[in-house]
Amino acid sequence: MGPSILIARNLSKVVPSAEGNLTILQELSLELTQGDSLAIVGASGSGKSTLLGLLAGLDQPSAGSVTLAGHDLGPLDEDQRARVRAEHVGFVFQSFQLLDSLNALENVMLPLELDGRRDAREHARTLLERVGLGKRLSHSPRQLSGGEQQRVAIARAFAAEPDVLFADEPTGNLDSHTGERISDLLFELNKERGTTLVLVTHDERLARRCHRQIRLEAGHMVSPMEP
Amino acid sequence: MAHLSLFRLFALAVRQLLRDARAGELRVLFFGLLIAVAASTAIGYFGARLNGAMLLRATEFLGADLVLQGSSPASDEQIERGTRLGLAHATVVEFSSVIATDNGIQLSSVKAANAAYPLRGELRSAPEPFGKETAGGGPAPGEAWVEPRLLAALDLKIGDSIDVGMKTLRLSRVLTYEPDRAGNFYSLTPRVMINLADLDATGVVQPGSRVTYRELWRGDALVLADYRQFLDGNLAPNQRIRDARDGNQQIGGALGKAERYLNMASLVAVLLAGVAVALSASRFAVRRFDASALLRCLGLSRRQALTLFCLQLAILGSLAALAGALLGWLAQLGLFALLDGLLPADIPEGGVVPALAGIATGLVALAGFALPPLAALGRVPPLRVLRRDLLPVPPSSWLVYGAAILALGLIMWRLSLDLLLTFALLGGGLIAALLLGGLLLLGLRSLRRLLAGAPLAWRLGLGQLLRHPLAAAGQSLAFSLILLAMGLITLLRVELLDTWHNQLPADAPNYFALNILEDDKAAFSKELAGFSSHAAPLYPVVPGRLTQINGEAVQQIVSKDSAGDRAVQRDLSLTWAAELPDDNTLSAGQWWQGQPQADVVPGVSVEAKLAESLKLKLGDRLTFVIGGETREAVVSSLREVNWDTFRPNFYMIFQPGTLQGLPATWLTSFYLAPGNDQQIVALSRAFPAATILPVDALLEQLRSILAQVTLAVQYVLLFVLAAGLAVLFAGLQATLDERIRQGALLRALGPGGRCWSRRGASSSACSAPPAACSPPSVAR
Repeated sequence: MGPSILIARNLSKVVPSAEGNLTILQELSLELTQGDSLAIVGASGSGKSTLLGLLAGLDQPSAGSVTLAGHDLGPLDEDQRARVRAEHVGFVFQSFQLLDSLNALENVMLPLELDGRRDAREHARTLLERVGLGKRLSHSPRQLSGGEQQRVAIARAFAAEPDVLFADEPTGNLDSHTGERISDLLFELNKERGTTLVLVTHDERLARRCHRQIRLEAGHMVSPMEP
Repeated sequence: MAHLSLFRLFALAVRQLLRDARAGELRVLFFGLLIAVAASTAIGYFGARLNGAMLLRATEFLGADLVLQGSSPASDEQIERGTRLGLAHATVVEFSSVIATDNGIQLSSVKAANAAYPLRGELRSAPEPFGKETAGGGPAPGEAWVEPRLLAALDLKIGDSIDVGMKTLRLSRVLTYEPDRAGNFYSLTPRVMINLADLDATGVVQPGSRVTYRELWRGDALVLADYRQFLDGNLAPNQRIRDARDGNQQIGGALGKAERYLNMASLVAVLLAGVAVALSASRFAVRRFDASALLRCLGLSRRQALTLFCLQLAILGSLAALAGALLGWLAQLGLFALLDGLLPADIPEGGVVPALAGIATGLVALAGFALPPLAALGRVPPLRVLRRDLLPVPPSSWLVYGAAILALGLIMWRLSLDLLLTFALLGGGLIAALLLGGLLLLGLRSLRRLLAGAPLAWRLGLGQLLRHPLAAAGQSLAFSLILLAMGLITLLRVELLDTWHNQLPADAPNYFALNILEDDKAAFSKELAGFSSHAAPLYPVVPGRLTQINGEAVQQIVSKDSAGDRAVQRDLSLTWAAELPDDNTLSAGQWWQGQPQADVVPGVSVEAKLAESLKLKLGDRLTFVIGGETREAVVSSLREVNWDTFRPNFYMIFQPGTLQGLPATWLTSFYLAPGNDQQIVALSRAFPAATILPVDALLEQLRSILAQVTLAVQYVLLFVLAAGLAVLFAGLQATLDERIRQGALLRALGPGGRCWSRRGASSSACSAPPAACSPPSVAR
């Protein structure tokens, strides 16, 4: 077992609402090691995306702590957390989140350019070839199918060689066949690069491909992590 | 990511911008700004060049760009400095002298000029009285050019000789027009023009003689300004400087009005453009919320994300501003090409200032109107990548409106250079906006209640508007103000053209008759009534000098080179009148009823601007020296005088019964249709003492200037219209996404075509694009 890359301790998230404080997550703890994969499952509104946001440092917990790649996110401000994300984290989203104004190659180049990589273009091209889009480099997102867009998003997520990849319903907008191929690609790359994968999904089959799963219900973990 | 330098951000911004431009999202912003800068630059150039052309015309009234005038010759140092600066130079010496012939004598106004004179405009002359005019040239040594009335008075013809002092000169031509005569014809004796080379030989100019020396200068404006600055510090007490600005009141009035109008029009164009920029910047920001969230998610800091977008906007703004300035420059070239033949050929170039000013105006508008919506991009929470409903906290309304008002204030100040006017306009605009906004809000809230039972099409069309009455009121208000501004500009144009038309009707007086003797008055009036139905009343003229105000010498009260100073340096034409003249309006005090009582100091009515310069107020006691006698009068009223008309007008009008008994001549102006020159000749012969002065040339010049200004006004409206179109375009673009989304949804739900078109109509008629000058209202 490798070193812990992601540790959450007693995470809670409470938000104010018209009816008083609303608890979205309550005292949730987990720990992942390098190369691990975790599926977070649960019904809509169970707190899955909130948990993902907290683990990735996109949001701050009301209580508890998150340690990502050795950085305790609690005391860090937004810009410091952004720096941790830039160095250690990749994302794949349900809605792909590609920039419409950029073509496939440019979308994959984006994190590399932000990181100042001189070989951004070459590296992005290699990755797109790896995900089977070597002939679609100059296509804009609008010219690509949903599955192709998600492959571009996966290539972008792996471009900066993250330690942890967060995927939010990566197959949620795709038909089952395409979804299957996308999840194959995701796990292949995960395995190739030794990335830790945290994915939120409704898809039980996808969840089962992960080493571990947790199920959330109303902000509580009802099915604990399996070792 | 922390090491992402500004250079790298800049490079990234350029790359993003190129890619975004390809996607077409930034085109609205680019074109909005392009039109703004182009309109502002074109108007700037047009105004500056037209102003230059008009000033050039106005300089004709001086015969030069700058005149140094004094009762003694200019010093060698003053002449040398001007010559060293490379200015063109001419010298004119003027004095009164009795012209003697075998037929008699006539007091005349002699002008001795060298060959360079005039530096602006041209002399015109004819081979015989009322013969065919030709322009250019001047009397050669040994020759004299004279006005026709001298020929009439002394029964001379061309070819005869006259004596000016000790020098005998041959009359070679009839002088019909002197460019620099127009502004100063009230105290005229017939003109005799001679060559400066003959001046010494006349022996007329001796120490102590009453002579006016005028050094005429022409050259580049900057060099002239430099020279003027030198002169200001080296001016003898008996010298003063004149330039086109104080050349002629009629021209000055027309120029001032035109300049104010052009500035007002460009202000409206910039205001419109500002709204277009605000709309497109708001759309720019809204459409980049996702990108901003993603970039933050990928590790960009808040400041870096904001810098990246600001750089994009700055690059885009600079490119649009440069392209706009070029387009504006080309537009004004095209405009002047269109007006070829109507405008003088030697229109001065505008320089780079209008282009720079246009660019600066565009960038200030961009900063004021676009930065606040853009600031929201720095506040987009990165969590938006997971929850698209998360929106940045909208910027404070104070920031949004404050920045826009500050930008607007700066632009207004630049255009008007009048801080008080800027505050007044901004204050007035704010009060109007608050009142109108309040009314709109009330109206929209009432409409919301009414709409509950309205058909679906109306509820769909107006629902979006009425759900947020405050934002909708803001948007409607912005567009109302735009329409108001455009309407105001159009109305002002009509008003301006009417004023000018009334100022110079076709039958405006084209002759002045001066120096009509008391004994000739009745006969002259009768003769005049015989051939002109458009004659002004006859006014008495008594030359007199204002010497004291409330017992204190006037020289100690007035400031050097002010209008008041000029008025007290010379004899004023004093008059008396029982009734207030037509072109005058009282601004203070009362007009008198009848003559003063024997033991009361009589009243005098003073022209308001002169009164201001002399620091006069009602009740002040003025002392005049008239024909060696001292007379006192009390300021009983102040008058606004319309100097733009070609009728006799006076600085000082006395109560009837106060100047009678003093030597007076009479003055009038009248209109005589062209082609009736023989009647003028007959009039001159019947009343040889009177001076009949044609002002056709002056009128023609003024008409030509007004024609140019009128054209400018017409074309300026085109630019305002272009800016208005930019707003419309930006507005339509700004609501496009929402309309497409709603339209697709409606079509999917399947309402009939009528419902669809009604919804569009009701929405378009009532709504303004969202976020006009408001925080990105997508926050809702």
